[in-house]
Amino acid sequence: MEAYNPKVVCFSCNFGWGYLNNEETLGATILNWIPVACSGKIDTHHILKAFKAGADGVLILGCPEGHCHFQDGNYQTRKKVCLIQKVLGAFGIEPERLDMEMAIDPEGKKIPQLIARMKNDLAKLGPVKRI
Amino acid sequence: MAEKPKIAIYGLGACAGCDQAIIDLNEVMLQVADAVDIVLWPLAMDFKYSRIQAMQDGEIALSILSGSVRNADHQKMAELLRKKSKIVLAMGACACFGGVSGLANFCGKEDIFNWVYRNAPTVINPTGCFPQPETDLNGYKLTLPEFFEHVFTLDQVIDVDYYLPGCPPPPELIGNAIVATLAGDLPPKGSALAPRKALCDTCPRNLRKPNRMEIRSFRRIHEVEADPDECFLAAGIICLGPATRSGCGETCIRINVPCRGCFGPVPGVMESAPKFLSTLSSLLVVERDDEIKEAIDSIDDPVGYLYRFSQPSSILGQKIAKKGLEN
Ligand code: SF4
Ligand code: SF4
Repeated sequence: MEAYNPKVVCFSCNFGWGYLNNEETLGATILNWIPVACSGKIDTHHILKAFKAGADGVLILGCPEGHCHFQDGNYQTRKKVCLIQKVLGAFGIEPERLDMEMAIDPEGKKIPQLIARMKNDLAKLGPVKRI
Repeated sequence: MAEKPKIAIYGLGACAGCDQAIIDLNEVMLQVADAVDIVLWPLAMDFKYSRIQAMQDGEIALSILSGSVRNADHQKMAELLRKKSKIVLAMGACACFGGVSGLANFCGKEDIFNWVYRNAPTVINPTGCFPQPETDLNGYKLTLPEFFEHVFTLDQVIDVDYYLPGCPPPPELIGNAIVATLAGDLPPKGSALAPRKALCDTCPRNLRKPNRMEIRSFRRIHEVEADPDECFLAAGIICLGPATRSGCGETCIRINVPCRGCFGPVPGVMESAPKFLSTLSSLLVVERDDEIKEAIDSIDDPVGYLYRFSQPSSILGQKIAKKGLEN
């Protein structure tokens, strides 16, 4: 049997994560990484569609509290994430498969590390048992 | 005299509420019955499937199909009527989005059978027998339509020309849909024959909506004495109005019951549940993580509320059916 290699889709805010690095260079090394203008830009259907397309986990990287470039997009998405977690279970997707980290990392060095950490946790969960 | 246009009315995985709504056309129904030849309507008159099978392809001007597709019989009838009809109208939330019966997709077929034929407190079934697609009895073969693993919307099984949402759709929209179809006065294929605005735009309670809405916790409608003029959401009672198409005549709202979303999404939106989730999260005014969780935990059965009519057409719930059972 082939080893299970969980797929993680990572959305990150451009104002907090990896902005000192060249997006293309960084992007070439990170699979399924989607930098966005603000974590508040990530809508519920983007997250659901990622799962629909086969993601085993979705990781959202936003700015710390009070640091949003657009007032409070990070806070808006934080609440959204909690609500979506409440719904995912009914579709057979454990709530832990959606996570949000609120911090700043100008170089973006932590992005691959956080993805690796999530993959590690997902490996323990195993593949999604969709209804 | 030119032949009258033929109409078929048929319920698949339906509760017959949609048929009843057609009957509620009252006098208008008499005019419709004069203008058309109803070739099939099991709820109201005698019929023979063989008569439909013997028809030319496209001979029926309009088939009005309600209900979801849950078993092989539903699928065969949907496919047969598709072949024989020029226009197929998916009528009601079940045909359009899966409807209430689509909530069954949150449990498997096995769980449903176990409950209905074995574990429900009113069931006595010592031999543990379940319905089978085929049974031999004294040399006779008895058959039942196969019960699928999944509930499908009508357009996951056949090509649908128009949609008429609602649970059930109001008679006024049904009358308009029939008249428009017969007159050939129709919007582009794939449209819903219903208004395009969101329910909040036509809701009388919108006048009392505060400029800035702030929800701290949620309450259910039976737990409070709701002010008959106040916006439900502003009072922390979940109302799907912001993400639901209007056209129902605000029937629930007017009897002090919040919207449950039977008209489905507004045009251009694939699914209302995610839109509503985004709306709801932005209205929540609680700061800390534990407060956010506490507020969200105060929503009773969010999944049942958000997907009450739409599980089979939702981003995560939809599946493609195997087609071609007819013949
Ligand atoms: S849409 Fe409502 S009224 Fe129509 S068949 Fe489904 S449950 Fe019954
Ligand atoms: S949320 Fe509900 S009660 Fe409030 S305006 Fe919209 S439809 Fe009306």
